[in-house]
Amino acid sequence: MDRVSRLFVSQSTIATMEMQITKKGRQRRISMQFWSLDESDILLRIRSPQEDAGTAILKVGNEIWYYLPKANRTVKIRPSMMMSSWMGSNFTLNDLVKQSRLTNDYTVATSFEGQRDGVAVSEYTLTPKPTAAVVWGKITLEVRQSDRMPVWQRYYDEDGKLVRELSFSEYKTASGRLIPTQLTMQSMGKAGKKVEKTTVTYEKIIFDRPISKVIFSPRNLKP
Amino acid sequence: MNGRLLRLAWRNLWRNPRRTLITMAAIGFGYAMLLFVACLMAGLRHQMIESGTGLVLSDVEVHAPGYYPERPVDQTLGGPDGTDVNALVAAIAANPRVQAASPRVYGYGLVSATHQSAGVELLGVVPDQEQKITVLQTRMVKGSYLTGRMPKGVVMGDKLAATIGAKVGSEIVLLAPAADGSTGNDLYTVAGLFHTGLDAMDRGLVLMPLASLQELLRLPPEGIHEVGIKLHDDDITAATTAAAALDTQLSKTLKVQVRAWPELAPELADYVQFNHRVTFILFFIFFLLAAMGIVNTMLMAIIERTRELGMLMAVGMRPVQVVGLIVAEAASLAGASLVLGAAIGAPLLWYLQVHGLNLGGNRGAVSLGGVVVGPLWHGQQDLTAYAQAAVGLAVIALVSALYPALRAARFRPTEALRKI
Repeated sequence: MDRVSRLFVSQSTIATMEMQITKKGRQRRISMQFWSLDESDILLRIRSPQEDAGTAILKVGNEIWYYLPKANRTVKIRPSMMMSSWMGSNFTLNDLVKQSRLTNDYTVATSFEGQRDGVAVSEYTLTPKPTAAVVWGKITLEVRQSDRMPVWQRYYDEDGKLVRELSFSEYKTASGRLIPTQLTMQSMGKAGKKVEKTTVTYEKIIFDRPISKVIFSPRNLKP
Repeated sequence: MNGRLLRLAWRNLWRNPRRTLITMAAIGFGYAMLLFVACLMAGLRHQMIESGTGLVLSDVEVHAPGYYPERPVDQTLGGPDGTDVNALVAAIAANPRVQAASPRVYGYGLVSATHQSAGVELLGVVPDQEQKITVLQTRMVKGSYLTGRMPKGVVMGDKLAATIGAKVGSEIVLLAPAADGSTGNDLYTVAGLFHTGLDAMDRGLVLMPLASLQELLRLPPEGIHEVGIKLHDDDITAATTAAAALDTQLSKTLKVQVRAWPELAPELADYVQFNHRVTFILFFIFFLLAAMGIVNTMLMAIIERTRELGMLMAVGMRPVQVVGLIVAEAASLAGASLVLGAAIGAPLLWYLQVHGLNLGGNRGAVSLGGVVVGPLWHGQQDLTAYAQAAVGLAVIALVSALYPALRAARFRPTEALRKI
């Protein structure tokens, strides 16, 4: 179980990724670069489209800065901004930059083991620990038994209603480890209909290459 | 009731001027008092509505269907391409119920000064037009309101400025999700700070020129979210009727939803209605007080004349004529008294409307149930209540004259003559 939440955790990560947002029949692509060091420091820089290019988000410890190219300013934002939809996508900033270990906040129970669509899988149900400050009422998670790769993760609210679903695909090997390179987040509208979705595709991902700590400084956000 | 009877009644009234004047005073002062109370009550209602709608809400709001209440940035009037803003505003302003109309754009985002940021609501307005429908410009405490000359100038609440550490002249960054999904960001200058007394506004509202907010949110110049409207008459019924009329008028050419303030701010409407009921009870108590005074003087006046009425019947007047005479007297007395009451009341009403009562001393405005009530309590003319009070008092006067008159008419003349 812990392996799933540690999938992307490493000493350092450098990645190029593309986010594709589908909303009301319209699509939008955002291409960005991602650096992380020791789980705590994260830098995200948008490369395209034109109107957002240059925007950078930096997280150091619990502090978050935004570099805004048009205003040419770096501003510090409140952590509460992390919980709202980011760039009009179905991901929150939290989803993108916080690699929290679910096992810290949730109790894990195996709820299914066996074949689904010809694949041996295990399903786990995560319920929040009484003291945990979390937003979800329940999370379920399906993992392939053969290689422990996640298939999907479903988020439920406190009333047990499915709110969003994250599905994994395109499993590839990068820097010697197998990871899903495509993540799709779907939000559920009324009556459980899938209304909006955002797909993040890792085009290139490198683990454990040394990165200078210098780039994780609010003063260096200007490109 | 014929003319001769009326003439006789009028002459009778002045046969005992002191008695008549005492009765007139009872009715006249009662009426003046009711006018005063009705004027203050209408004034309070008006002030509650004004303070609730006058800062941002406005009396009636026109949106694209599906815009309210979530206010998604991309739901502009007339669809993604927008609409001819000037033509729309002109069409609305042409409605006889409308006093003024002003286009608006809304956004939400983050305002950030040097080291602090806060989540805010952004409101884009055309300064000249907006000032005709709302009064935020009168609540500026530092700097100045928006002008056309400063496209990057914004005004914000004083508490918000304190939170993020901004002053007049400070440079701030606004960050907002734009209509195309990107994140709009730009630099602005704080032109002024307002204080409304409403915490939600003082802590969470940034006002800026319409075109600047459209640019930040990547909306075309034709893309607006709302037309705010000020009506000539903004009470609950008038506003709801006007909204329905505008909906019919505008729906011919554009997909719109028109909402009046009672729908936009139901808690304000509840509060106004509750207040209406409370003040009506108060008005009724005052009415009873006035009525008791009238009944008393009328009864006394007629009973005093039992002997005189007996005399009239003794010389051949029929009982029905006696009753007719008394009613005619009471009617002309009530009429004259009401004119007197109005004459006493008029300067009072004028003073209340123009100058108001100063209740709060120098303590300034207070926030009450989501509306700001100023230290000055201005009156508002309520012709319906004035008419109701007049009719009510006249009926009371007639009834209280009729009862002793009927009693006197039933006596045999000899009996009546023996009464004092």
